[in-house]
Amino acid sequence: MRPGQRAFGHLALCLLAGVLAPLSRSQATVSVWGVRPGPDAKGTEALVREFERRNPDLRVRTMSMGAGEMSPQKLMTSIVGRVPPDVIFQDRFTLSDWASRGAFLPLDRFLAQETGPDAVKPADYYPAAWSEAVYDGKVYGIPYGADDRILYYNRRIFRAKAEQLRSAGLDPERAPRSWSELLRYSKVLTEFGPNGELKVAGFIPNWGNSWLYLYAFQMEADFMSPDGRTCTLDSPRAERALQFMVDGYKILGGYNAAQKFQSGFQGQENDAFYIGKVAMKIDGDWVLNPMGRYAPNLDFGVAPPPSPDERLAGKGIFAGMSPYATWIGGFSYAIPKGAKNPGGAWRFIRFATSLEGREIENRAQRDFERLRGREFVPRNQAHIQANEELVREFTPANPHLAAAQKMHVEMARYGRIRPATVVAQVLWDEHVKAIEKACRGEATPKEALLAGQAVVQRELDQHFRYYSRPKTDFRGPVAISVAIFLLGLGAFWIHLRRQPLGRLGRHEALWGYLLVSPWLIGFLVFLLGPMIASLAFSFTQYNVLNEPRWMGFENYQALATTERENVLKAFGNVFYLAGIGVPLGILSGLTIALLLNREIFGVRAYRTLFYLPSIVPAVATAVLWGWILVSDPSKGLVNALWSKTLEPWLGAALPGWLSVADWAKPSIVLMGLWGAGGGMILWLAGLKGVPRSLYEAADLDGASPWRSFWSVTLPWISPLVFFNVVTGLIGAIQEFDRVYVLKGSGGTIGPSDSLLTPVAHLFVNGFSYFKMGFASALAWLVFAVVLVLTGIQFWVSKTWVHYEADR
Amino acid sequence: MIQVPIVWPVAAPIVWAAWVFGVIAVILALRVWLDLPSNRVAGLRSSALWTAVCLGCVWLRRYDPTPVSWLRGSLPLGWGAILVLGLAAWAGWASMRRVGKNSRLQIVFGRFLVHISLILGSIVFAIPFAWLLVTSFKEDVDMASPHGIVWIPKVTKTVPYVSPENPLYRAVYQGQSVEANRAFVMPDGRWQMAVERPLGLAGFTFEVRKNEVVQIPRNAPLVTTTVQGRRAQGKVVQERENGARVVELDTPPELAGKRLELPPNELRPVREFGLRWQNYPEALDYLPPEANRGLTYLRNSTLLVVLNVLGTLLSCSLVAYAFARLRFPGRNALFAILLATMMLPGAVTLLPQFLIFRELGWVDTLYPLWVPALFAGAFNVFLLRQFFRQIPLELEDAAKIDGCDYLKAFWKVMLPQVRPALAVIAVWTFIGAWNNFMGPLIYINSPEHLPIAYALQLFNGERSGEPGLLMAFASLSMLPVVLVFVFAQRYFIEGVTLSGMGGR
Repeated sequence: MRPGQRAFGHLALCLLAGVLAPLSRSQATVSVWGVRPGPDAKGTEALVREFERRNPDLRVRTMSMGAGEMSPQKLMTSIVGRVPPDVIFQDRFTLSDWASRGAFLPLDRFLAQETGPDAVKPADYYPAAWSEAVYDGKVYGIPYGADDRILYYNRRIFRAKAEQLRSAGLDPERAPRSWSELLRYSKVLTEFGPNGELKVAGFIPNWGNSWLYLYAFQMEADFMSPDGRTCTLDSPRAERALQFMVDGYKILGGYNAAQKFQSGFQGQENDAFYIGKVAMKIDGDWVLNPMGRYAPNLDFGVAPPPSPDERLAGKGIFAGMSPYATWIGGFSYAIPKGAKNPGGAWRFIRFATSLEGREIENRAQRDFERLRGREFVPRNQAHIQANEELVREFTPANPHLAAAQKMHVEMARYGRIRPATVVAQVLWDEHVKAIEKACRGEATPKEALLAGQAVVQRELDQHFRYYSRPKTDFRGPVAISVAIFLLGLGAFWIHLRRQPLGRLGRHEALWGYLLVSPWLIGFLVFLLGPMIASLAFSFTQYNVLNEPRWMGFENYQALATTERENVLKAFGNVFYLAGIGVPLGILSGLTIALLLNREIFGVRAYRTLFYLPSIVPAVATAVLWGWILVSDPSKGLVNALWSKTLEPWLGAALPGWLSVADWAKPSIVLMGLWGAGGGMILWLAGLKGVPRSLYEAADLDGASPWRSFWSVTLPWISPLVFFNVVTGLIGAIQEFDRVYVLKGSGGTIGPSDSLLTPVAHLFVNGFSYFKMGFASALAWLVFAVVLVLTGIQFWVSKTWVHYEADR
Repeated sequence: MIQVPIVWPVAAPIVWAAWVFGVIAVILALRVWLDLPSNRVAGLRSSALWTAVCLGCVWLRRYDPTPVSWLRGSLPLGWGAILVLGLAAWAGWASMRRVGKNSRLQIVFGRFLVHISLILGSIVFAIPFAWLLVTSFKEDVDMASPHGIVWIPKVTKTVPYVSPENPLYRAVYQGQSVEANRAFVMPDGRWQMAVERPLGLAGFTFEVRKNEVVQIPRNAPLVTTTVQGRRAQGKVVQERENGARVVELDTPPELAGKRLELPPNELRPVREFGLRWQNYPEALDYLPPEANRGLTYLRNSTLLVVLNVLGTLLSCSLVAYAFARLRFPGRNALFAILLATMMLPGAVTLLPQFLIFRELGWVDTLYPLWVPALFAGAFNVFLLRQFFRQIPLELEDAAKIDGCDYLKAFWKVMLPQVRPALAVIAVWTFIGAWNNFMGPLIYINSPEHLPIAYALQLFNGERSGEPGLLMAFASLSMLPVVLVFVFAQRYFIEGVTLSGMGGR
């Protein structure tokens, strides 16, 4: 062995040893997810440091990990993977969903031990906030915030449009009070540009934070029946609320126009509300701090969220009710099941939710903001006393902010919470889809809500039916398959003994088995075993936290019936992506290859440039193109070009790209074309394989270059063309990275699920909803489609494609 | 100035497909008349095939019945543009006439055209990279501009300024050198300091004694403004709480040293061409403390790449050698199974594999991301086997006669022969491991185990409003792959040639 080799061997050994050394885990760590002391969150930092100072035996590790962005996948994989954090700062309305699956620890045990004056007591909290953290009689979280939504309006715009408002019979000095008034204000305040694009939006129904929930709560609609077994998303009251949203979007020229307008919005100082792009919005108390920081001089007013006209008038079902209602939400601290250090976790939660902890956090944040010359407004607290004391201590000097803070505290009394249900996440996702469908005009509000209700109801039924399903005992089948496997092995052994192998031959065979064993073991453990398991799971209802229960072919039935729409959409999207992307990719790749397939100066440089995009990490590509395709022409590269050429020449409206359902797929195709250089290399290889003699013969026959391309090159590389078509299609079916990065933060993969691919659908079902059974069935469907495609390739390539061997 | 009218159809993709296939069918049908009689049947058959495909698209249209509309507009052409176009057309026509008569000129002209198209193509392909780099060096004000994309980044000019009223100090906080403000003087005479940079620590407060800190100059931005109707230049020495800036004038000379308090909208920053390098350190500053300014991510990705490459090379070459050279009963059956597994989509085994790794207690560790590499991927085995089979048998036999056992023959004789294939596999595995996204997304939960690709996705979620930082981090994340590609380009190209697989 040469010294270099030896050194290399040592290096490899050391690396291996370093990785294999078990990670030492200190028991005295409390890991907290969902909060993170970033550069701008000094309050959390102070809270954590003070907690550590008082509890020298504990160390806190914080992490944000997307929790709070409604991305439950990370938390779920960590709980299922048995490495959960100790404390999770979780959106309260999802607690019941998680708790019903046994994902969280009930806190009653800790609450029972609470004594003394500073004990954690339900009575200290707003009842709505506390009850949101209770599921099935058990407490699963200690509420932290209590955010509610109110109407914000830009006084400057109101004054500038005072004349128009007055002539429409509206008072420019006050905010709208009822829905109909809100729409009339919006109509007057909305401005369009010369090409019909939005310049100022009066009111965007779902910008800020209202969703359907707020309007439905104002209509006194419930999304769940009191016993929690029936979803009432499609109630006439919710329908009326959704109709209001649809009407609101109509004023703006439709949902797509509004989406496109919104995709150009920026953050911080250039927030659309601060710079007067949006005149009115409904939003929560979290906007106050950024406003104090980025728009201290903004002249804005606040009002209770406008109510349905009949509610304001106190007519009908609203008789005797308060004229206003709002939606209250907020986060809670909870302890996931399987937390390594629940005792430490509880100590942290106690401290973080105590009056003192809240004061420490807010004071530190205020001091930090003051240091930066900014105003600080504390968030609404779920702890009544803390809320009152903080408001007293932290009244902002800015009168607008002070008024807004006061309004938020007052409106908290009229707050309603989202129903505690086991399907909170699905209900949320489906209600988002219903909003999109109805506002886009793809369905009437009733149809959209009914479709969502059906999905939620199905999930609900599945959940309640789980317990009546037969338990699945996999021991029998596993034993049988192991027995079959061993029998086969024995038979093989006997077969082997009978082979006329000499001593040397046997020696060789032994080595052979030894050397292929890595693959063989990998095949058995990582492929065959999982395949069988996945097949078995596909016949069960299985959320990983509880045992699988047998449900026969129901998952496969669901693929063809209830989930049909999604499955068709996913495969439809894929065939669209492949149907347009693959031919264009082949065309551009082949064109470049034909140009490069000659001895010319700088061929290497060209090749590098064309090829480079195809090896860039998919995530980086997606991040990069996400920005290049921003629809605001002052920011997005493509639309900047478009607005200088196609728009003035042809009057072609600027596309919304990734923010609009119709353009999302073309965006992905465009991104894919950028990577066409990957195919180019393959074509180059193929072209190099065409024998020169054929070209020479064609030349002698007087064929033009065009003719010799058609008659020589193309037939020669036709197997490659076909190979590329099929692998392109198979690749598209498994497309995941890019669409996942570009999906946006809503419940859908791309606007209106326009980027949903089979694997993305599988991932969401498997790792966000943990419907392992259904996801497995879907995986087998994907497998079947891939198999069919491969079969077609074999069959067609035999009959149609030109292979060298046939000559 | 003339307006050239243009029209463009707006149609659903399926309509476009129908048009394209229809045109193909018509062209094929027309060709039938020109072709030799013996080829007519084949020509008619393919024309019929494309007609059928076209009709299929027409039938599919029922699922997307959006009507075809026409965009009408006009291309404004100035006289200058018309002149240039005319000249170009004339030059093209004239040169074609000459070229047509001279075969040497034909070749030169052909090359010229090829270069022109290649240069244009590479510009198009390079633009996103250029945008990425330029953006990563831009100041925030240049991110959006109504006059189109800013391609030449500018930076605000600053001058070092030792500020008496708002001093900045260099101090040590938790063993790290920081720039900090003095928040206030404590009763015991010590100072409370507030960190200003690095950004990750900004706002943290700590206490020091006066002799432990050194005052350093601030970077005061230069601004221009109008004083008494004259253009004046000065530096911002202080920012008031109400947003007003205190400016100390430098020019005109008679006003030098004068201080004014002005609202920000009356000031214009002095900007000059330059790159804002700070985006890079700032992007790293914003990472959580566990990331150790991105070094942790780099370490994880590197570790994964090294282990994946070593594991893949070792396992695949051993298995491929056995399949290629050793005779053992069942070899062909096993190899057929191996080939069959290449068709299996990863999605099928995704969930059970997760459960396996969970049972092993490997969730939130790096193991699931590299241990499978030790078990020989089918495709690489297939590729290597082809190579091993091409090595003459005599070579191995000679080694055996010299007393080598199988392992020794493999290591000493066979492996060196397939080095090119190994290099290719190494390069592909490198790229695959570096770019792996779904694996970490499922298995990794804690910041100290994040590889770069997934860290970029999280960073994208957290800093979505700051393209400068985002693009800086994105370009850092792709730098190693690009470097590997530039230095190992040969193996990439060969790899595709050898394997017949395009791209990823």
